[in-house]
Amino acid sequence: MNTRSFAGFVAPSVVAMVLLILAPLIGTAWLSIHEGYVKTELAEVRTVVPLFGGLTRVEVQKVPQAVRDADGRPVRIWNYVGLDNYGNVLRIDRLAAGLSAAAAGGVDWITQLYRDITTIEFWSALEFSLLYIAATTPCVLLLGFTVALAVDRTAKRIRGALIFASLLPFIITPVVGALSIYWLFLDGAVVNAALQALGFSKFYFLSTATSIRSLIILYGVWHVTPFAFVVLYAGLQTLPQDALEAAEVDGATAWQRLRFVTVPHLAPLFAFVTLIHVMDAYRVFEPVLVFGSNLYANSLQYMTYRILNLEDNYSKAAAASLLTVAGILVLLVPMLRRTWREHRAA
Amino acid sequence: MRRAPSPLLSAANGAFLALWVFAAAFPFAWMALLSLRAPVDAFAQPPLLFAPVTFSHFYQVWVVDGFWHQAINSAVITLGTVGISLSIGCLAAYGLARYRGSLGFWLLMAALVFRAMPHVVLLTAYKPAFFQLGLWNRYETLIVVLVAINQPFTIWMLRGFFVNIPAELDEAALVDGCTRLQAFRRVIMPVMWPGVITAGLFSFLLAYNDYLISSQLMNGDHMTMTAALSNYMNSNDDAVKLLRGIAGAVSVCIPLIFLILFFQRQIVAGLVQGAVKG
Repeated sequence: MNTRSFAGFVAPSVVAMVLLILAPLIGTAWLSIHEGYVKTELAEVRTVVPLFGGLTRVEVQKVPQAVRDADGRPVRIWNYVGLDNYGNVLRIDRLAAGLSAAAAGGVDWITQLYRDITTIEFWSALEFSLLYIAATTPCVLLLGFTVALAVDRTAKRIRGALIFASLLPFIITPVVGALSIYWLFLDGAVVNAALQALGFSKFYFLSTATSIRSLIILYGVWHVTPFAFVVLYAGLQTLPQDALEAAEVDGATAWQRLRFVTVPHLAPLFAFVTLIHVMDAYRVFEPVLVFGSNLYANSLQYMTYRILNLEDNYSKAAAASLLTVAGILVLLVPMLRRTWREHRAA
Repeated sequence: MRRAPSPLLSAANGAFLALWVFAAAFPFAWMALLSLRAPVDAFAQPPLLFAPVTFSHFYQVWVVDGFWHQAINSAVITLGTVGISLSIGCLAAYGLARYRGSLGFWLLMAALVFRAMPHVVLLTAYKPAFFQLGLWNRYETLIVVLVAINQPFTIWMLRGFFVNIPAELDEAALVDGCTRLQAFRRVIMPVMWPGVITAGLFSFLLAYNDYLISSQLMNGDHMTMTAALSNYMNSNDDAVKLLRGIAGAVSVCIPLIFLILFFQRQIVAGLVQGAVKG
């Protein structure tokens, strides 16, 4: 295919991506170094105040009012503010204060430093986003692989039903999935009722940071394990049978066959699942929203969402967004580099 | 031949799988059970397995709260997104599969980076821009946005399917005097249906499951089902409202359950596709 017809074929898709992904990214970058406010002017407002006996007095007040353009929309002024918005998000000043306090020493300086840093919204969101990636990834791989092995050993006729049930947490709307877990752990709901019926005392899952964070991570594992399972299960169907038999003839135990034949064969799939999961876990949003309290657990995407909605501050949200994108690029670099090398080689 | 596994191992295997299936399905099953109960039975101590069935929460949500309206919105948005995504995605993916130059490689790399973008990054720019342009709260806007967000994933997936179709097929058509576009339409597309269905399913899931963008770009009468669930969040102290939310959530699940029932094979193929093609 020549370049001309290639361009013709990809044009609609490229236009869509340029207009609605690339241009917004550039727009966000622009917003992040500007600060907007609605232009106001002092307008004279005359009010007629009734006195007594039908007499009135006219009061003139100067009230700030939005300047409107020809269409009646308020005029917004955008000022270039350099990196101020980034400073507002990162709070380098408080970070530095925390660090210098830690450098001065003290009995509990590590705890103190941790507290100083994680009371800053951005750093606590980053902390939990990274914790979420680090905690869920190994669990997802391990559990997904175990389920794949187990399904691979069962009779063929029930595998369809097993795969159906396994797909549910992954396919069903994340908000709904997160809510379904959340509702199980409400104070009066089934998990607590079951605990009490078994003679344990009531546990308030939704009122401590540790338990909320654990539940979000539990949700993450539950949600993504099916993906790891399906991919690894498909990989198990392509295992080289002759290598397995040769290993068995040579006296390898089941564990050794798993360790030295199966796992190496599936290594690229483990890498693939890890890559996709890290990309998606980094932007975790729904469970944080549902279990939601940014005091207990926050994520980068949820933080930006809050800045955008509750603070209504586009510029600060843009700065937070770009910092998130920077993190994505760092995560993607190894992957892109590998693909680039393969492309060179080809 | 592999030796027959020991009975102990088989039993452990079965027990583990039973546990996993329980964990995967229980939250949804319990939700479905609660949605059919009176508040007094739903949160009884100890929890009841059997209780009188009532459809009042579904009636409340669908008729009184107007969920039917949001269901129509969801259908319009989802079908619109799937249709447009596939049309422009197929064209692009076919071009990418057949073009040999390095421009194609760069486009795929850019798409990979776009796929990783957190959606709130784009939303930050959409909000002021759409507000200025007066494009707020319109079906077309949300559809076009979801199509664009979907494109990186769609073209990667469809490209994988097109690459598997032998190039001789369209070359033969070209020799016979077809233009590229004719070869694509008459020769390639007819053998592409499995790929189109799989990519369509994933576009469907993305549009239907989206919460963040849909809840922000649409409000009032235009809300989608998924976004409308936010009306019922944070109502833990009000058992009646909570149960309505549960009935709403169950309603959102139902189309997806049918989707998995009918298209399980294609969903699995789609998930594996990316892994094989890298």
